[in-house]
Amino acid sequence: MPSTVDTLTTRTVATLDAIALVAAPVDDEWQYVTDLVTAWGARLTAVGTERRADVVAAPIEAAVDRAIEEALLVSDPHRAIDWLSTLPQVVLVALGERS
Amino acid sequence: MRFQDAALDARAIVYAGIQADPLVAEAAALLADANPAQRVLARAVMNGESTDPDAWRIMFPTLFADGADPSARERCEAILQAALRVAERGEAVRSQVRGAIVESVTERLLARRAGRAVKRERRILFDGVRSEIHPYDVTVESATPEVYDCKWGARGITAEVLLQLATARANAAAEGLDLAVALVVFDAHRSCLVRLARQRGAAGVTGLVALESLRGLARARPVAIPRVAGATP
Repeated sequence: MPSTVDTLTTRTVATLDAIALVAAPVDDEWQYVTDLVTAWGARLTAVGTERRADVVAAPIEAAVDRAIEEALLVSDPHRAIDWLSTLPQVVLVALGERS
Repeated sequence: MRFQDAALDARAIVYAGIQADPLVAEAAALLADANPAQRVLARAVMNGESTDPDAWRIMFPTLFADGADPSARERCEAILQAALRVAERGEAVRSQVRGAIVESVTERLLARRAGRAVKRERRILFDGVRSEIHPYDVTVESATPEVYDCKWGARGITAEVLLQLATARANAAAEGLDLAVALVVFDAHRSCLVRLARQRGAAGVTGLVALESLRGLARARPVAIPRVAGATP
């Protein structure tokens, strides 16, 4: 069964929480990490709410799946901080939304 | 106020080698004319773990779709290949190359507006003020001067960077000059605002050119981040 936009944004928000745990060892940046999760989580949730019922085409779903997979490959905490910003941008491009 | 070449110390010599890497020029030329989605592609690939181009084509279906405009698709492929070559460098070199690319993109875009007035790695000297240690990444040395600090990610925005820019602007104002100071960040505007929200001294002073608005460098001087009631920056 095809996914809807809110399913994909919810999964992306959950992935941000997972990436934040990878970034956690960078003590000095914990506030920034938390702030990024909050800000991008809010943006993704807003898109998911607005387009809740929109069914996405298979290539869009595959794009988000692959982007989440890529983000979860990151094991370096510093690179994880970069991905807290990068993953939402990639997902929003796939969904045809502005950052 | 006058500009001066940065001291040629060990750091400068090593970094000059990075800046001269042909891959930096190639990537910068592509990104100067890229659209925001193409820049997100470059950022993701250069930040990424995967070096399989098909993985990235899957992640960006709107850029690599069958039936897409052939010239746009060709540019996307060129950006992807250049970004992969950056990603394949070791972590330390990758980081330096990415920074040099942002500087080179900035220089190219500014040159479309300011031509030969655009310089790299320059310091500013003010009368009666101790000289700065760190050079500015890119400067526009005209009657209405501009200085830019370039960052790969919003995380690079620090209190020290903001202080240096604000101090330069204040010193120039003391000499009756309108010096524009700005950050160029190859990251989303949203992430930059998140970073700036816990820093002081940027609002009303420092301009912000984020990934979405890079091409604006070629059109006009940057405008300072507006002051918002209740906000920190």
